[in-house]
Amino acid sequence: MTTLLLFNITNGLIIGAFYVLMALGLSLILNLSNVINFAHGGFLVIGGYIAWTLSPYLGFWGSLIVAPFLTAIIGLIIERFMIRRLYGRDPLYSLLLTFGFAFIIEDGTRYIWGAQGKPVSVPAILAQPLSYDFFFLTGYRVFMVAVVAIAVVVLFVLLRYTRAGVRIRAGTLDLETVAALGVNVRALRSLNFAVGIYLAGLSGVLASGQLGLESTMGTGLLMPSFIAIIVGGVGSLTGTLLGGLLIGVASGITTVFLPQASEAVMYVIMALVLLIRPRGLLGEEGMMT
Amino acid sequence: MSEQPVLHVDNVSKRFGSLVAVRDVSLTVGKGELRAVIGPNGAGKTTFFNLISGFFPPSAGKIIFDDRDVTRLSAQQRVKLGMGRTFQITEIFPELSVFENVRVATEVANGYGLRPWLSKTESADLRRRIDEVIAMTGLSARADRLVGELAHGDQRAAEIAMALALRPHLLLLDEPTAGMGDQETYEITQLIRKLHKDSNLTIVLIEHDMRVVFHLADRITVLDQGKLLAQGTPQEIAANEAVQAAYLGKAA
Amino acid sequence: MRLAVVAGMWILLALAPFWMPFLGGYTALGTRVLVLALAAMSVNFLLGFTGVLSFGHAAWFGLGAYGCGLSLKFLAFSTPLGLLMGTLLGGVAGALLGALMVHRRGVYFAMVTIAFGQVFYYIAFQWSSLTGGDDGLRGFARQPIELGFLRFDILHDDRAFYYFVLICFAIIVSIMGFILRSPFGHTLIAIRENERRARFLGIPIERHIWIAFTLSCFFMAFAGSLYALVNNFADPRGLHYSLSGDFVIMAVMGGMRSFWGPLLGAVLFEVLQDYISSVTVNWMSFIGMLVVVVVLFFPRGILGLVRQPRAA
Repeated sequence: MTTLLLFNITNGLIIGAFYVLMALGLSLILNLSNVINFAHGGFLVIGGYIAWTLSPYLGFWGSLIVAPFLTAIIGLIIERFMIRRLYGRDPLYSLLLTFGFAFIIEDGTRYIWGAQGKPVSVPAILAQPLSYDFFFLTGYRVFMVAVVAIAVVVLFVLLRYTRAGVRIRAGTLDLETVAALGVNVRALRSLNFAVGIYLAGLSGVLASGQLGLESTMGTGLLMPSFIAIIVGGVGSLTGTLLGGLLIGVASGITTVFLPQASEAVMYVIMALVLLIRPRGLLGEEGMMT
Repeated sequence: MSEQPVLHVDNVSKRFGSLVAVRDVSLTVGKGELRAVIGPNGAGKTTFFNLISGFFPPSAGKIIFDDRDVTRLSAQQRVKLGMGRTFQITEIFPELSVFENVRVATEVANGYGLRPWLSKTESADLRRRIDEVIAMTGLSARADRLVGELAHGDQRAAEIAMALALRPHLLLLDEPTAGMGDQETYEITQLIRKLHKDSNLTIVLIEHDMRVVFHLADRITVLDQGKLLAQGTPQEIAANEAVQAAYLGKAA
Repeated sequence: MRLAVVAGMWILLALAPFWMPFLGGYTALGTRVLVLALAAMSVNFLLGFTGVLSFGHAAWFGLGAYGCGLSLKFLAFSTPLGLLMGTLLGGVAGALLGALMVHRRGVYFAMVTIAFGQVFYYIAFQWSSLTGGDDGLRGFARQPIELGFLRFDILHDDRAFYYFVLICFAIIVSIMGFILRSPFGHTLIAIRENERRARFLGIPIERHIWIAFTLSCFFMAFAGSLYALVNNFADPRGLHYSLSGDFVIMAVMGGMRSFWGPLLGAVLFEVLQDYISSVTVNWMSFIGMLVVVVVLFFPRGILGLVRQPRAA
């Protein structure tokens, strides 16, 4: 029983780590630019497919490094030429734009890479379990968590200690003042967006090693990311981090006792949070408008 | 003006983190008085207005309106009790006509906010009241124009009309002449004067234009860096050295 | 002038079963588009007239569909009862959840509405013993309407059903218009125009938004109930946020600020989607591109190009 519980909690943490990676990118974009990026799942898929395309030339490790950057560049182009035009307007329009892009990306990837899923191979050293007691901890899953952990740490360090990072954080709280201080807000938003998309692309590469590749896989991860942000509290990246881990673990634990409810429990947690503490675990008052 | 005051602000302060925007300011405005609040930039005037109108609660102190403690009441509740307000950046309904702007204000003031329909008499009364208010602010000729398309001065007048439709006991005007040329300033000043004298409205206004202040005010309150610097009649304030220093000091 | 256009529109709608075949259409298509138009107008009640961005509104649509279907399947062979049950299910759920969501604004509100909508999608998917899961709810059919000695066979007669739906459409749309012209409706438009000014007129914003939200959920649920009757079928896709997105796009394409805009948008969107999907397998990309083009270049929609922005 305990092994089962341990298995599922660890599983939950691994899934949670994954949600965190996606949700952080989404959260970054949401906080600074007030845009819900419906296409975030699409960028995940693009990242995975680009990595798959590059791996014959760069190998697994090469494409892991390069693919997210390329994905971020695509995101940057879209932001610069289309989303940017909508910043002053009602948030409805940027929402619809990303919504439309989600369609285009899903169909586009199907068109370019075919409707069949693609199998993805990972290096042999990662495919083996770490030990026979913990058979469920394949090297790849540990690797995924490690990558997420590194990415999260790097992100938080960048946000705290680089000039751009500080500006992004300040801009989340009070964009007007940041602009008044002479910061180029448009460039800041572009950079922020690119970082968010980078994280999506990275998620895609990681996911493909575990789940294979398929045009529709991004959309299934969008909702848990939303929930992670709502539970953790809008405006707080640490909250998103906590939220993602929380729903991952909750989902893992529920699988032991009531397998069909493992997805439902995320929604239950969200509903509870909205009832008891509407601003989320670490959300700030007044961040809701 | 010996009856109870319309507005009594008792030692209010407002802190934003470590920044103190308003510090221990008190003020009493009697019925039918026109009070001007002046001071150099950054003196905390708009923050002070925000406290009075309920935009946010004070960090300390009380606000008594018509002998009633409104400190913990929301902005909407204070409006219902009779406080009308205009903003530094005109807040109107841009894609509605002047008539429609004033209409919704009047409907809410009459308590029709949740009504699905009005009787013939109610509609007629409503119509009459709306036309009255629009006439008071001199906008009758432009009543069917979209407010967003009007000249700046007329937009201000429309905003004042909306506040008037609420039948306020107290009218708070935040820099009514901001961004106006001489002609528009003159017209708005005349409007405010008319409202003050003819309707005996109690008005508190923030102003930077000294001509307007001295033309209209019964009494003046001077704020500087969030604190009360001086209070008195226009003559007293004009002669006050500390006030002069505050203004000149800022200009230097 | 405007009266003439609206009258003309009603005449077109009333005669649709007769002119549609000449354009390659058929009555059942018209019925379906009419129901979707009603849904788009219900979303617009909130979006275009109150200024509230609800992106999960399909939830109430889907609930209405399931409510109606389940009623016909398990309660009684009565179309009016089915409609009532569906409308109540979606409307009441909306009213209750609306109370939780109403304090948020803008994108955060949209996010929460999407998330809650997905809860219902998930439930419909999982509770397959009741709802038929992914395969959808079947085994029910719209019942003929008996009014004393008059019998309208809406099950077998496509035209009778079309007119039934048209009458329902007319009733709901009239209620909507009536509300928007009332003092209450004026406060909604005020909230859309400038929430701060509305607050400083003494309007209790959250309460009014909740009422508008609830009303639009009831309208939406009614549309959903009708939709279940169109194909005698209800499925989880009716609850998915992508359908919500479709309704919003219809409203934007036709013109958010105009009362009849969403009707025009629904017709256009459905016709385009039908046509594109018959021509190419990549119809999704084209719909996506259509959305992008509308958002970037025609944000006011078609009716927004044609006339000056005006209140209802």
